[in-house]
Amino acid sequence: MHVLVVEDDKRVADHVVKGLKGAGWLVDHVADGREALFRVASETYDVVVLDRMLPQVDGLKILQTMRATGDDTPVLILSALGDVDNKVKGLRAGGDDYLGKPFALSELLARVEALGRRKAIVQETSELTYADLEMNLLTREVKRQGRPIELTAREFLLLEHLLRNAGRVVSRSMLLEAVWDYNFDPQTNIIDQHVSRLRQKIDKDFSPALVQTVRGMGYALRT
Amino acid sequence: MIWRRPLQSLTVRLTLVYMALFCGSVGVMLAVSYVAGVWRPLQIVESEIRSQSDRLVQTYRTDGRDGLIRALARRAAAPKGRLPYHVLVAPGGAVVAANLTDWPVAKGPEWRRYEFGTYATGAEEEHEAVVRDLALPGGYRLIVGLDTEDLDEREDLIFEALSWGAGMSVLFGLLGGLVMTYAVSQRLEAINRAARAVIAGDLSGRVALRGSGDDFDQLAATLNEMLERIEGLVASISRVSDNIAHELRTPLSRLRAELEELAETDDPAEMAARGLAALDEAGRLQSMFEALLRIARLQSGPAGQAPPVDLSTLLEDAVELHRPAAEDRGQAMGADIADGLSVPGDRDLLFQMVSNLLDNAVKFAPAGGNVALTARTDAGAVEVTVSDDGPGVAAAERQRVFERFYRIGGAAQPEGFGLGLSLVAAAAERHSAQVSLEDVGPGLRVTIRFARSG
Repeated sequence: MHVLVVEDDKRVADHVVKGLKGAGWLVDHVADGREALFRVASETYDVVVLDRMLPQVDGLKILQTMRATGDDTPVLILSALGDVDNKVKGLRAGGDDYLGKPFALSELLARVEALGRRKAIVQETSELTYADLEMNLLTREVKRQGRPIELTAREFLLLEHLLRNAGRVVSRSMLLEAVWDYNFDPQTNIIDQHVSRLRQKIDKDFSPALVQTVRGMGYALRT
Repeated sequence: MIWRRPLQSLTVRLTLVYMALFCGSVGVMLAVSYVAGVWRPLQIVESEIRSQSDRLVQTYRTDGRDGLIRALARRAAAPKGRLPYHVLVAPGGAVVAANLTDWPVAKGPEWRRYEFGTYATGAEEEHEAVVRDLALPGGYRLIVGLDTEDLDEREDLIFEALSWGAGMSVLFGLLGGLVMTYAVSQRLEAINRAARAVIAGDLSGRVALRGSGDDFDQLAATLNEMLERIEGLVASISRVSDNIAHELRTPLSRLRAELEELAETDDPAEMAARGLAALDEAGRLQSMFEALLRIARLQSGPAGQAPPVDLSTLLEDAVELHRPAAEDRGQAMGADIADGLSVPGDRDLLFQMVSNLLDNAVKFAPAGGNVALTARTDAGAVEVTVSDDGPGVAAAERQRVFERFYRIGGAAQPEGFGLGLSLVAAAAERHSAQVSLEDVGPGLRVTIRFARSG
């Protein structure tokens, strides 16, 4: 998997590049907008991590140019303008995801992973499975070891999101955005109780436990 | 200031304008009386002379010179109203008949007003007449007129009044203007003085009131109110920045402590633990900044047009999101939400607002207690309440809980910044909604009342 990091701050860029390389990505890094335009035009990437404020060319301009030329590579926008208005503006310009600075590296890695996968799975499936867990998206049935499990609508969405990112870390804020569809900052880790309910249903009577807590990062479906 | 550039002063200009208006109206009044008392009567006199003289010319044509002389004598002997005057001059310049000793020898225009003296009572009397000067066939010249001394006197009177009136208007206008300018400039100077004091940095400066309740007092009262508000805002801003600086100390010193420990330890397990703890502190600092920024942006930004938000669904989502947290503490979270509620606004912000309230309610309700959310329309306005059966908020604290960093009872709650309700207040204000707190013994009820329904 090949990722382009467009970021002018050297310290932040080094940190991000190191993290992505550690996660097994092939990473290219450019520090200014003009170079970025040249790179995205001449090479094919799986994901682009794009800082909004760049010397020479505005990050959103690069994004618009990419989209105008039919390049639909998933783009994660990084920005110090971390509020909701700017997020909406970034997503409207064609961004696939948005992350405000300062961010946790784990959060960035989780989001880049999710974007990379989104491009990989093009065809829509009606069945999601992980280990002995099965989810049918059409009949809304969930089974573990063949035994049906009753989930609420929200728990179903939560599990679906974990299943779609099976094996990878999903941060709490990613879950909030994907499952609740509200952009806000919870005062407490309100999502934890929801995950623990889900755990009660799919892990309590079974072994091994699938829903794992990743300290300081979020959750992951792992065996 | 006024005396230095008089024409730029409003009062001076007003004085001049009023003076001109005064003079103008005196002029108009006198013009009207001139027309009614002098000009109209003169017209009547003129038409009378015209008909009389036309008849005399006719007499001359039919009865000749002597007939005319007789007719003139008859007319002079029996005056009807105004005194009649006549002069008949032969071609050579000799006066043939006249009841005037003094007459215009030089040939002038046909019509004129002629002034002359008479000596009827021994003393010279001034007289004026309107006369018509006619040339008769055969070289004779006939002057016929009627006395208009009364009109002349009236005319003089009007002109005299005009000059006096104009003079007095100018005089009184100037005096009044000076007095007014002085009075106004005194009042304005008081306002200027107060404003300059504020500009110089003394925000406690106020405009002195005279207590008469006049326009200037009202203006001064409004300005004082504005200054009061500015002073309050500045005070609250400096309090907030003081608070921010102060509130930063605790998490920063904790962060520093963790990092120092991290630098000193050799134990890998402790290093990892310290590193994560430091990250947690950094995360808390970040959330605090984000909350502060959000409040600041809400308070400064324009509200703009907002699309209607399906409030019923939003509230159900919020309750659903928070219910597990309440249940974990053995609390019951009740919801009584009317269907189809809608308000114009920002969906994410409204969710944040309700989420903060539910979060507080869960935090303050005792284990095994109750949290309830209701939403309904009341007299056209949408009203949302969140209540708990916790300790409530003392009446004295109710206004202060909306201040940034204010924590109930001064207690340091490790999980809160004291920004939750500030954000609620800012978000409510953005949605033209009113937030009120009341005691529901035991417990607290927060009511949000939206002015508009969408």
